[in-house]
Amino acid sequence: MTMYEDNQSDKDQIVLASGGYDHSIKIWETHTGLCQRTVQHVDSQVNALEITPDKQFVAAASYQHIYMYDLGSNNPSPVINFEGAAKNITDIGFQQDGKWMYSGGEDCKARIWDLKESQTQAPRCYYTGNPITSVCLHPNQVELFIGDQNGVVHRWDLKTDQTDQIIPEQDTMVLDIAIDPLGQYMACVNSKGRCYLWELQGSFDEPTKVKPKFKFDAHNKYALKVLFSHDSQLLATTSADQTVKIWAMRDYSLIAELKQESQRWVWDAAFSADDQYIFSASSDGLVRLWNVKNENIEREYSGHQKAVTALAFRDATC
Amino acid sequence: MALYDNKYWLLSHIRNSFISSDDTGMCEIVMSGEDISHLKTQLDKYPDPELSEDSDDGLSIESGDLSFGMDFGMRARTNTAARIEKIEQAKKKAAKMKLIKWDSKKAGSNNDSNWDSMFEKVDPKITVQMGKKSLLSQKLEECTNLPKNPYMMYAKFDGLAQVNVPTRRYKILLTMLENEYKNAPLDISCIATAKIMDLIGLILFYVRNRHANLVLHPPTHYGLYITEEDGEVYRDLPPLDAKECVAKFGFNCLGLVEHKEPVVSFDDSHKQGEDNEKPETAGRMKTIKEFSKTEETKQITTDLEVMAVHKKAMEAPLYQSYQVNIVTKMRSRVEIHLGISGDKIEIDPIHPQSSKFTLNKQKPVSCHMDSVAWCEITESRNSKTSFRVFYSNSYGSGKPVNDKAVTSFSPLQASASFKHFDFEADLSIAEEIVGKINLILELRSSQSRKEYLAARERKQYKRKSFNIAK
Repeated sequence: MTMYEDNQSDKDQIVLASGGYDHSIKIWETHTGLCQRTVQHVDSQVNALEITPDKQFVAAASYQHIYMYDLGSNNPSPVINFEGAAKNITDIGFQQDGKWMYSGGEDCKARIWDLKESQTQAPRCYYTGNPITSVCLHPNQVELFIGDQNGVVHRWDLKTDQTDQIIPEQDTMVLDIAIDPLGQYMACVNSKGRCYLWELQGSFDEPTKVKPKFKFDAHNKYALKVLFSHDSQLLATTSADQTVKIWAMRDYSLIAELKQESQRWVWDAAFSADDQYIFSASSDGLVRLWNVKNENIEREYSGHQKAVTALAFRDATC
Repeated sequence: MALYDNKYWLLSHIRNSFISSDDTGMCEIVMSGEDISHLKTQLDKYPDPELSEDSDDGLSIESGDLSFGMDFGMRARTNTAARIEKIEQAKKKAAKMKLIKWDSKKAGSNNDSNWDSMFEKVDPKITVQMGKKSLLSQKLEECTNLPKNPYMMYAKFDGLAQVNVPTRRYKILLTMLENEYKNAPLDISCIATAKIMDLIGLILFYVRNRHANLVLHPPTHYGLYITEEDGEVYRDLPPLDAKECVAKFGFNCLGLVEHKEPVVSFDDSHKQGEDNEKPETAGRMKTIKEFSKTEETKQITTDLEVMAVHKKAMEAPLYQSYQVNIVTKMRSRVEIHLGISGDKIEIDPIHPQSSKFTLNKQKPVSCHMDSVAWCEITESRNSKTSFRVFYSNSYGSGKPVNDKAVTSFSPLQASASFKHFDFEADLSIAEEIVGKINLILELRSSQSRKEYLAARERKQYKRKSFNIAK
């Protein structure tokens, strides 16, 4: 019973984690802007961060390893170490019930890690042939969309192990892929700052079909991250041009441009559960919280010594 | 020296000395295996009951020379030992960490039923209830009046929030607080690469968090002073240099003291964060800066001047030639080269000159420096400056070759032996020549010069006495 209550209280918590080039991961108290905890991430920089669905752990993708840190304790060292990748792991994520974790890396392999089993394992693996930059799970929980450095977007059906590819723009690195929570749209951004949108069609029995819908120049430099709001109404892109741009999915118009002098590259972003706020992580070592409506900076989270390249945020509803 | 009564101890000590001083290691091989503890009761028939316990401890040391707890008693740890210890620590850490290894051989070994349970297709639905406020929004709304900590930018120097960078710990006494807090030091950890100013900012960041109502100023208004553990701040000593790295100073207990005025000026990198600084303060800082700058330039100029004088004196005897006009007896001006060196003055007419005016002809003159008595600027008009060189006519070899060039109405005609040349040149050149000649004359202090000075004095005296008589 007590266990259950503990879990409940964790579920109701807000968790914001950030990491980057200073080999540390910081957990923040979101409303005060104070750093709650710092854990050391000695081996390498942090390429990507994700919080498990039960909010027990934060996983950090780094060179050759994925480390999981316990959010419930004050243990500054990782509690689980996933190893076996030959190079940098660039993206990670979780199945919605926390059954398994997916990862993609520069060794051209997308992997599924079984979280229920604890020994050596290799449940599923897909070789793309090119270094992977981004992996995104379709909300139907069985299809992975994988972007690589040669500009290919791979669809990998985990249930049937079938794959197919689409190439939005030849030889232009895909930096990030996102699918909206309803599974209606997929977006990707590339190294030319262009954003591609597809409509996804599929049913329970058929594999998802991808239909091109729209493309536009979101930024004039490298785009680094793309994400949908929880209500699928907004699209956010971040870029090396030092901005976060928010677009309306209705007519693809620019709603807000979040920029701050000295912000430098904006690597990652995350919407609050009600899409009123967005966090950004940038090379000036700061995590910022922006009000989407009036473009104000609500909070600044200062503490990282170097560039912040990864962000993980789990909100709760009250 | 009761120690030496203990035969067993002595025996042990001797044995140990043998072992430790024998480099071949032979003694160690022979003796170290031997257990001599059975001799203890035999040799030490009357053990001191009080010491008995101590002696046990003492015997374990076995040597008066070598004792633990001192540096020479312990062999320095080798790099290998240190590395092994590190590896062991890492291993211990790793033991607490669950390792999940990717094994490509195992791929596909799972059965299909397992797959089905693992990869179940779900209908996408919105997991977040729409229209509801998120917890983040609610918390932010609750905290709208949260005063923004102006020292936020210094939070990144907090050593507590760092795990793999060197840090330094300080006890900080906050002298500006009320009594109850004044004596309780604030424990601060700061990254070792921070500057003192960053440390002050970090302290203020903490102070602001704890005492929200306290009026605080920009970090430039504070100084960190060396402080005793009991809270006595050494205000007579200057505060730690704000621009220096904290690692430079070895003091762990410091006192934060508020200044009425900013104590340091900052480069722009620091200034950008202190927007709340009053412009008037900034202005004052600027004037201080400028003032010190002018002071500095002044000092440099005087130094340069001193150097220039030295240089002139050094260079005075070196030959130099000037192009000036000589004023002849006929009041006409002839262009000449005036060569001045340590031992003579040479006058060389510039050729070719207009042969029509033969009156203006100027013959070359060489005048030994020992015959020259005086040199002065006589008249300075806006275009030209006249100067006069007096020389002794009676000086043996220095007798001017050309008497014509010498005018006869000198004010010093009383002593007929002195004659002079009149020259004309630009003011700067005239000054330079006069200076140069006078320097040379001062250096040489010839007979002619002494005579001339004596004559002039006499004359002045005469004139004075004449005035009085009148």
